[in-house]
Amino acid sequence: MRVLGIDTASRTNTIGLIDADRVVADFAWDARDSSLQQIIVNIDLVLKRGGLSLEDLDGLAVGIGPGSWTGVRVGVTVAKTLACTLGKPLCGISSLEALAHQSKTASALLCPLVDAGRETVYAAFYRVREGAPIREGEYYVGSIAGLTDRVREPVLFLGRPAYLHRAVITSALGPPARFGSPSDAPGGAAFALMSLPRFAAGQVDDPLSLVPLYLGESLAQALLRRREAEARGGRAPGS
Amino acid sequence: MLILGIETSCDETAAALVDDGNVLSNVIASQIDLHARFGGIVPEVASRKHVEAIGYVIRETFDSAGERPAAVDAVAVTCRYGLIGSLIVGVSAAKAMAYALKVPLIGIHHIEGHIFANILSHPGLPLPHVCLTVSGGHTMLIHVEEPGRYQVLGGTLDDAAGEAFDKIAKFLGLSFPGGPAIERLALAGDGAAISLPRPLGRSRTADFSFSGLKTAVVNMCQGRDRGSLPLADIAAGFQEAVVDVLVSKTLQAARRLGVTAVSVTGGVSINARLREVFSEACPRHGLQVFFPRPDLCTDNAAMVAAAGAVRLRQGEESGLDLNAVPNAPLESIKCPAKRC
Ligand SMILES: [Zn+2]
Repeated sequence: MRVLGIDTASRTNTIGLIDADRVVADFAWDARDSSLQQIIVNIDLVLKRGGLSLEDLDGLAVGIGPGSWTGVRVGVTVAKTLACTLGKPLCGISSLEALAHQSKTASALLCPLVDAGRETVYAAFYRVREGAPIREGEYYVGSIAGLTDRVREPVLFLGRPAYLHRAVITSALGPPARFGSPSDAPGGAAFALMSLPRFAAGQVDDPLSLVPLYLGESLAQALLRRREAEARGGRAPGS
Repeated sequence: MLILGIETSCDETAAALVDDGNVLSNVIASQIDLHARFGGIVPEVASRKHVEAIGYVIRETFDSAGERPAAVDAVAVTCRYGLIGSLIVGVSAAKAMAYALKVPLIGIHHIEGHIFANILSHPGLPLPHVCLTVSGGHTMLIHVEEPGRYQVLGGTLDDAAGEAFDKIAKFLGLSFPGGPAIERLALAGDGAAISLPRPLGRSRTADFSFSGLKTAVVNMCQGRDRGSLPLADIAAGFQEAVVDVLVSKTLQAARRLGVTAVSVTGGVSINARLREVFSEACPRHGLQVFFPRPDLCTDNAAMVAAAGAVRLRQGEESGLDLNAVPNAPLESIKCPAKRC
């Protein structure tokens, strides 16, 4: 199966191409050089390196975040439009799961982190079962301290924010906290490889309805929700 | 030539198919009800909604035209002027579409799109002419020498006219968007009952200013009980002042340039009082006046496809590295083939 993997949810944007379990090409660029400007140019570059055209693909995999809200919209919109136009199956994969996948031989509970700005992180806990990380519990958005409060057993923290905040995490948890390498960011090919079992199981996403995993509402949305809840609270229950 | 147009510069997710000046389909998914809950357009909310809607809107565009993507000859997309987060979604989809179909991609300035709303609606629209494009996001006077050749004569120095309507509506406790709300209330009022200033009305420039008008309304109401305010007269007086400035500035520019026609476009060009005053005043000055067909007044993708067709014919094409630029100036086609 030939799959193109796209991820523009983090600061490093990547495009990868796989043929069965072989990585044909993997290309990364800095998102500050513009996700939108570079994405099609680099998809074309990766396909040419692999000697393939879009029509040769059997499917597309795309990172759906959490991460940069603006960045992830570029990759998701491009992937869903390509999948619709070409009639190829599409598989959306979360950034956190992709990080967990990088350490799927570990026996500890995995906790991948993605930077959420303003000293907060996106996170989730994963346990590896039959070679695949399975998420346990809800996604988390908040401070590092709030996250470490939830830890009850040895955890392997993954991702750049884990490395940056390792002192805070270690002082809260002590030796049960371990850390992955600082450079374990998954490339586009990793996203494509992760999609293989899903395509095999028919677990594809509808390209028309696929949207990013934001794990957070905009400030305006939060304000509105509070205002509307207050307005509802003022009325008789059930009205 | 069949052109797919895509437009997501603000709060409408739009796609259209235009074939040699014939609009085959013109699909617009409006977010207005969503933003009305916030009392204005929220950029992050708009961007999210665009991603949700874009696939469905493009599919509906093909279905309702009875066309297939493989039949498309080029993809035109609004890539300049608008909310950056919104523009990005349309440009992402358009780039993917053009790349997958192996057809040319043409990036269009949003204002050029509005100019084409009238050219598309009226094939006999004289050239050159003066175009007033006026909405919640912009207010601009443009000398349209020919399709692809423009001279911006002036624009607003502060608020767009539609934005002034929104702000006054909010101040008077009316709903969002403010244009239709003020227009409705004004029907019951006397536009001459209250005297409001005509900012820059006497100046010879083609620039507009609406924030002073807003301040005048606010000052007039200051310290008075809302129940005692003649709301309908205020709405009518305000609308009259905006319309007066828009019409007089447009006529002034048309006379100065010696054109025989003016075109009015953008969301505010739906306003019935604006149309009425233009339609009365233009013949008196020997001018023809044109308004777009109703579905091409507000943001839409048919106008973008029409602009794209002309640019493509003039030999313009964008690269796959096309980017979105929120506040780019309106530019003419640099080197129209026939002039080289
Ligand atoms: Zn507009």
